Amino acid sequence: MALALEMTGITKYFASTDVKANDKVDFAVEAGEVHALVGENGAGKTTLMSILYGLVKPDSGEIKVDGKPVVITRPDDAIRNGIGMVHQHFKLVPSFTVAQSILLGMEPNRAGFLTPNEENRAVAELAERHGLPVDPKARIRDLPVGMQQRVEILKVLERNARILVLDEPTAVLTPQEVAELMRVVRNLSKAGYTVVFITHKLLEVVRVADRVSVMRAGRNAGSKAVAETTVPELARMMVGREVLLKVNKAPRQAGEVVFAADDVSVTDVRGFPAVTRVSFNVRAGEILGIAGVSGNGQTELVEAITGMRALDGGRLVINTKDATTLSVRERRERGLAHIPEDRIHVGLNLDTNLDENLIVSRYRLGQFNRAGFLNRRSMRDFAADVIKRFSVAAAVPGGGISRLSGGNMQKIVIGRELAGEPSFIVANQPTRGLDVGSIEFVHRSLVEARDRGAGILLVSVELEEILALSDRVLVMYRGQIQGEVDPATATEEQIGLLMAGAHPEPASAAGPAA
Amino acid sequence: MTHDRLKQFDAFLIPILAVISGLLVSVVLVLLTKTSPIEAYRILFVAGFGCNDLTHCALFTTLERATPLILTGLSAVVAFRSGMFSIGQEGQYLLGAVVAAWLGYAIQLPPVIHPIFIMTMSMLAGAAYGWVPGVLRVKLGVNELLVTIVLNAIAVLFAEYMVQFPLRSDPGATAHSPIIDLTAQLPTFLPGSKWGVGFILAVLAAYIVYVYLWRSTPGYEQRMAGQSKRFALFGGIPSDQAAIRAMLISGALAGLAGSIEILGVHRRIMQAFSVGLGFDGLSVAILGQTHPLGVVIVAILFAGVRLGAQLGLQLEAQIPRELGGTMIGLIILFVALRKFYEGNIERTRNWLGRFFNRGQSRPE
Ligand SMILES: Nc1ncnc2c1ncn2[C@@H]1O[C@H](COP(=O)(O)OP(=O)(O)OP(=O)(O)O)[C@@H](O)[C@H]1O
Ligand SMILES: [Mg+2]
Repeated sequence: MALALEMTGITKYFASTDVKANDKVDFAVEAGEVHALVGENGAGKTTLMSILYGLVKPDSGEIKVDGKPVVITRPDDAIRNGIGMVHQHFKLVPSFTVAQSILLGMEPNRAGFLTPNEENRAVAELAERHGLPVDPKARIRDLPVGMQQRVEILKVLERNARILVLDEPTAVLTPQEVAELMRVVRNLSKAGYTVVFITHKLLEVVRVADRVSVMRAGRNAGSKAVAETTVPELARMMVGREVLLKVNKAPRQAGEVVFAADDVSVTDVRGFPAVTRVSFNVRAGEILGIAGVSGNGQTELVEAITGMRALDGGRLVINTKDATTLSVRERRERGLAHIPEDRIHVGLNLDTNLDENLIVSRYRLGQFNRAGFLNRRSMRDFAADVIKRFSVAAAVPGGGISRLSGGNMQKIVIGRELAGEPSFIVANQPTRGLDVGSIEFVHRSLVEARDRGAGILLVSVELEEILALSDRVLVMYRGQIQGEVDPATATEEQIGLLMAGAHPEPASAAGPAA
Repeated sequence: MTHDRLKQFDAFLIPILAVISGLLVSVVLVLLTKTSPIEAYRILFVAGFGCNDLTHCALFTTLERATPLILTGLSAVVAFRSGMFSIGQEGQYLLGAVVAAWLGYAIQLPPVIHPIFIMTMSMLAGAAYGWVPGVLRVKLGVNELLVTIVLNAIAVLFAEYMVQFPLRSDPGATAHSPIIDLTAQLPTFLPGSKWGVGFILAVLAAYIVYVYLWRSTPGYEQRMAGQSKRFALFGGIPSDQAAIRAMLISGALAGLAGSIEILGVHRRIMQAFSVGLGFDGLSVAILGQTHPLGVVIVAILFAGVRLGAQLGLQLEAQIPRELGGTMIGLIILFVALRKFYEGNIERTRNWLGRFFNRGQSRPE
C-alpha cells in the first residue's frame, strides 16, 4: 500500500529542558490505516505530531505526504497538505455554538458571510456525511466531553484533512464514549481517511489500530502490524522491561472499619447538590472502589472526605472518631492520606522544590521542625529517601519538579502520601494520564499499602482499574450510590449499566454488606 | 543540569537588562537637552554614589534615603510572597510616622529605651493597619488591593489632620510637629548626612525577612499559601492564618519605615509628609524580584539615581531632576516588559546550552 505519510530523521532538542524529545525518528503511515502511536510519558509522541502539524520546528528531518516532500512551518501548511490534529486539550470557545466552532476561521463562501441558518445547515450536512451526528445549535459549554471531541473532529474534516492526528483522544472519555469513538475511527478509516491515534492504553491499540509504532526515549522503538503483536510485547517495547499488566494480590484480610460515611451530602462549587445522602464504610486491609462516569459527584465526595470541602449534611468517621468538621490537618493527623485527581494544581506546588513539596502535610513534625525553623538537612534526607524508595528518576533533592514527567510527578505524590504509613488512603484517579510502567507502579504501591493493613478508597473512571484493584465496588451515579457489585464476578456490562443509571437487579446487588 | 545553573542567573539578568534598557532609552531624553549622555551619566553617578571625603559623601546620603525604601520594599515582599496583593505600604508608613512624631515628644523615656519603644509602637500601628485588609480578605473575601487603596487615602488625610491640628507646634509657620526629644533620636554615623542606625536596622530587617520566609515553618506556610492556595488547602496549611500573619508583618515593616524616617531623619512630621515612599516600596519589591537581597540592592540604586538626578543633573548640568524619576520609570517599565526579554534570554540560554553540551560529547 502507498504511504500517506513518511517522516524521516526527525530530531528535536529542547534546550530549556535539555531533552532530545525526538532523536532521528522515522515514522511512516500507510494510506487508509489507523496507526497507533504509543510510548511512555515524555517519550516524544506529542512532539513528533506537533512537528508534523507545524507547531514545533524540528532541528532536522524530512516529511513526505503522499510521497511528495513538503515543508511545514505553520499549522496552515499542514492543513494545506491535508493534515489535521485534535489536541488532547480541546481548543474550543465555550460560548460558541457547534456550527460556529466548526466554521470558525473558514473562508466565507462567495456570498460573503453565512447566516446562522446556512451555517447550521452546512454543519448538519457535514455531520450527516461523516455519520457523526451533532446539534449545530448547541453551545459548546453544554456538551459532554465526548461531543466536544466530535466537534473537534468535524472541524478537522471540514478543512479537508485526509490525515487525522488524535492526541490521547480517549484519556478524558467515559467507557461508552470510548466505544463510540472507536466506531467513528474505524468508519473514517473505511472511508479512506488515515488516522494517527496516540494513546497510553494498549487495549485500545488492539481494538482500533491496524499498525502501531512504539516510541521510547525520543526514538521509534519499532513499528508493527497489530495482528502480529501482543499487549505484553507492546508494554515491553514501551518500557524496555517486562511489565506486569495484571495486579497480583492476596485475598482480602479486612479488619476494623477505618472510615465511615454516614448519610453524606455535598454541594458543588456552583451550589448545586453533587452528592446526596451517601453512606458506606472502608475497612482496614481492603480496597473499596468507586466506579462511575466522571462528574457524578466523585470529586465532591473526595473533597468532603479529605476536608477540602464542607459537608451539607451527614457524618464522617475516621478511625472511630468523628471527623465531620475536622480540618485537613486534623484529619491527616488521624491517619488520612490523599492522592488527589489533579496532581499538578492540588497535589503538588510546581513553583517550589521537591523537598518543600514533600513536607507539606508533615512540616510540623519534630523531624522537620526545630523550634519553628525548617530542618533542611532532614528535609533533604527525606527527599533522597522518597526518590530511592519510589525510584523517581530524574528528581534530585532540592531540585525543581515542574519539568518532571507525569509519571514521576505522581510518584512524588504517592511517595509523600504513603510515607508515614497512613491507615486510610483516598486515591482519586491515581493513574490518569500515566503510561503502563507508571500505572504498574501505582497499582503495586496501593496493593502493598492494603496488604500492610491500610483501608483504601479508590475512585476511578477506569473500569479496568477498579476491577483489577478493588475488593468491593460501589457505582456512583448522579451523586448517589447506584449499587454495589463484587469485582470477582461482575462483568463490565453489568457495571456499565449501573454507571449509566440503570437500577441493579435485586439478585446481583447483594454485595458483602459492610 | 546546565540548564538549571543557567536559569539561576535569570533573577539577576532581568533587573540588569531592565536597568541597561532604561538607561539606553533615557539617552534619547538626555540628547534632547543637548548634553553629552556620557557626561550626563558621569555626573549622575558621581552625584549619586561618589565620595570625596567622609563628610561630603553622596553615597552616605544615598544610603540614608535608601533606608525607608528597603523597609517598604520588604513590606511588599512579605505580602506578595504570601499571596496578598497589598499596596497598603503608604498608609502603614504614614501611620508609623505619625505615631513616632507624637511619642517622640509626648512621653519621656531614657535614651535607647525611648526609640526602641517608639519603633515598637509604630510597628504595632502599621501592623494594625495591615490587619484590617487581611481580615476583610480572609473573613469576607474582600479584595485586599481595593481595601489598601482606600486605607491609604484615609491615612494620608489622617496624617494631614494630625499635623495641622493635634500635633501642630507653631500656628504661624507651615504646619509641623515639635522636634522630638533628643532621647528619642536615632544616632547618625557621620556629620554631613543622616545616614545612621536606621540603615543598619533596615539591612538587618532584610536578613530577618529572608530567614523568616525561607527558613522558618510559619514562613513556609506563607510561601506555600502564596504560591498555590489549593496545594496549601490540600496539605492542611492554615492559609487564612498565614495571610493575616503576612499582613501584620508587612504592616509592621512599613510602620517601622515611617518611624525611622521621623526618628533618624526629619525629627518631626510636617505638612505633605507623604511623598510616595510607600509606593516606591512596591516598585523596589518588583524590580528586586521580590527577594530581600534584591530589595536592598534596588533600593540603593533607586535612591542613588534620584539623588544624582537632583544634585548632579539639575545643579551641575541644568537638566531637570525629573529626568531621574523618568529613568526609574523607564526601568520599571522594562521590568514590567520582562516578556520582552524572556524570548531573548531563552535564546541565549539555548545557545549556551548547546555550546556547553557540545563540549560534553553527549551520547548519540
Ligand atoms: N516546548 C517544550 N519545551 C521544552 N521541553 C519540551 C517541550 N515540549 C516537550 N518537551 C519535553 O520533551 C519530552 C517529550 O515530550 P512529549 O510531550 O512529546 O512527550 P509525550 O510522549 O507526548 O508524553 P505524554 O504521554 O506525557 O503526553 C519531554 O521530556 C518534555 O518534557
Ligand atoms: Mg503527549
